[in-house]
Amino acid sequence: MFFVVPLVLVAVYSFGSINPVTLDVGFGWTTGNYRAFASTLYLHSLLRSIFLSLGATGACAVLGFSLAYFISRQPPRAQRLLLVAVIVPFWTSFIVRTYSWVDLLQNLGPIDRLAGAIGLTDSHLSVLYTPTAIAIGIIYSYLPLMILPIYVSLERIDASIYNAAADLGATPWRQFRRVVLPLAMPGVIAGCIIVGIPALGEYVIPEILGGGKTLMLGNILANQFQTTGNYPFGSALAVTLMGILMILLFLLRRRQPLQESA
Amino acid sequence: MSIRRHPVSALLAFAVLAFLWLPLLAVVVNSFNRDTLMAGWGGATGHWYNLAANDHDVREGLKTTLIIAFASALVSLAVGISGALWWRRAPRRAQAVYDGLVYARIIVPEVVFATALFFLFVHFKFRLGLPAIIIGHSVWNSAYATLIIQARMVGLDPSVEEAAADLGATPWRVFRRVTLHSLMPAIIAAGLLAFTFSFDDVVTSYFLQGTAQSPLPIVLFGLIRFRLTPEVNAIGVLVMLLTVGLMSLAVTMFATAGRLGRSEKRAGFLDMYRR
Repeated sequence: MFFVVPLVLVAVYSFGSINPVTLDVGFGWTTGNYRAFASTLYLHSLLRSIFLSLGATGACAVLGFSLAYFISRQPPRAQRLLLVAVIVPFWTSFIVRTYSWVDLLQNLGPIDRLAGAIGLTDSHLSVLYTPTAIAIGIIYSYLPLMILPIYVSLERIDASIYNAAADLGATPWRQFRRVVLPLAMPGVIAGCIIVGIPALGEYVIPEILGGGKTLMLGNILANQFQTTGNYPFGSALAVTLMGILMILLFLLRRRQPLQESA
Repeated sequence: MSIRRHPVSALLAFAVLAFLWLPLLAVVVNSFNRDTLMAGWGGATGHWYNLAANDHDVREGLKTTLIIAFASALVSLAVGISGALWWRRAPRRAQAVYDGLVYARIIVPEVVFATALFFLFVHFKFRLGLPAIIIGHSVWNSAYATLIIQARMVGLDPSVEEAAADLGATPWRVFRRVTLHSLMPAIIAAGLLAFTFSFDDVVTSYFLQGTAQSPLPIVLFGLIRFRLTPEVNAIGVLVMLLTVGLMSLAVTMFATAGRLGRSEKRAGFLDMYRR
C-alpha cells in the first residue's frame, strides 16, 4: 500500500494534465472553444509558435552539432572540461539567462553598437521585443540540451571511420554528409525532441524578450487563466498544444528506426 | 584531408562557446555597473548588491523559495524512493506503465501541466499558495528523483539484503541499514537536483501562487518586466552562484554514486533534459 498510494497520486496528476476539460463543471460538450481557437488571431499565433520553435530547434541543431562535433574529437581531459563549459551556463538561473539578452539586444546595447560601428545599420537594430529576440532567447536557453545528446552519439564513432573515409578520397564535405551525419542522427533527433517540446510551450522567454507583444501559444494559454479567466478556452488550448506535441513525437518516433537501420 | 581536425569545425565551436558564455559575462559585468541604464560602463560599484540584499521583496521571496524548494525536495524523495522500491518488485507490465508515467511527467510541457494543476486545485477548492506550489513542483521533481534512484537501484544486488535477513536482521533494519544505505548517494543527488529545479522554477509557481508571497524567480520576473536596473543583475549573480554550487554538488554526488552502464545512460537522459 505504501508504494501504491504515491502511484495513484501520480496517476491522478498525469490524468489531470491529459484531460483537463472533463474537470470543468457546468460545461457541456461543445466544440465552441476549438472553433474560437480556429479564428485568425489565435491560428496566427499558433503558426508563429510552431515556426518559432521549429526555427529555433533547427538553429540549435546546427550550432549544437558544430560544438558537439568539436568536443567529441578532443582528448578525454579536454572533452570533460569543454562539457563542463557547456553545462555550467545551463545551470544558471533560467530567468537571469533570458534577461541577459535584454541587456545585450536593447538599442544602444553592445550588439546594437557593434552593428552600428561596422556599418550594418544606419539607425538602430531594434531587435528586442520581436520574434527574432524570442528565437535568440530560445536558442540560447536550450542549446546545451541539444549539444549533450549529439555529443553522446558522436563520441561513440570510431576515429578510424573518419580516416578510412578520408583515405578513400572523400572530400571533407562528403565525409561529413555521408559518414558523420548519418551516424549522429539518433542524437540529433533526441536533441530536437528535447529542445522542441519545451520550446513550443515556452512562456517565460516570449514574456521577457517579446515584451508581451509577440505572443506564443504558452502566453495565450497563461493569459486565459491569469487575466481573462476563460478556463474552458484555456484548456482547449492546452489540449491542442498536447495534440500537436503528440503528433510531432509520433512522427519522430516513426523516423527513428529507419535512421538507425540506415 | 580528414575532417577530424578541420579548422572550420574549431572556429565554429569557439563561436558557439562564446555565444554560451558572453551573455553571462555581461550579467556579471553589469551587476557592478554604476550606469543605471546599462547603456555604457559608468564605473564599478557594489551599490546594486547592497540594494538587492536590502530589498524586502527579494528577501521574502528568497525565504519562500527556500521553503518551497526544501519541501518539494522532501516530497519528491518520498515519492521517488517508495516508487522505485515498488518498481523493483513489480510485474513487468506495471513497471512499463510506471516508467511511462515517469517519462510523461517529464515530457508534458510545463505550461500545460501547471494549467492542469491550477484547474484541479480550483475545482476542488484547494487554496492556491505555498502548499499548492510545493505539490506542483513535486509532480515533475519526483519524476527526476525516480529516474536517479531507479538507476542506482538497478545496480543493487538483492542477495545482500537476503543475506542481512538471513543473519537475523528485521525487515525494517534491512531496509534502513542495507537498502537505504546503498541508495544514499542517489538519494542525496536526487534531493539536491529537486531542490535546484524547484529553486529555479517560474511557470508552475506563477500559476499556483495565488495571493501568497511570490518566490524569488517570480519576484525577478516582475522586476524585469517593470524596471531594468543593474539590481536585477546583482540578484542574478547571487542566484547564479547558489544554483551552480548546488548543481555541482548534486552531480559530484551522482558521479560517485556508481558507474553502471545503465545508470549512466539514465543520468545522461536526465542531464540532457531539464532546464
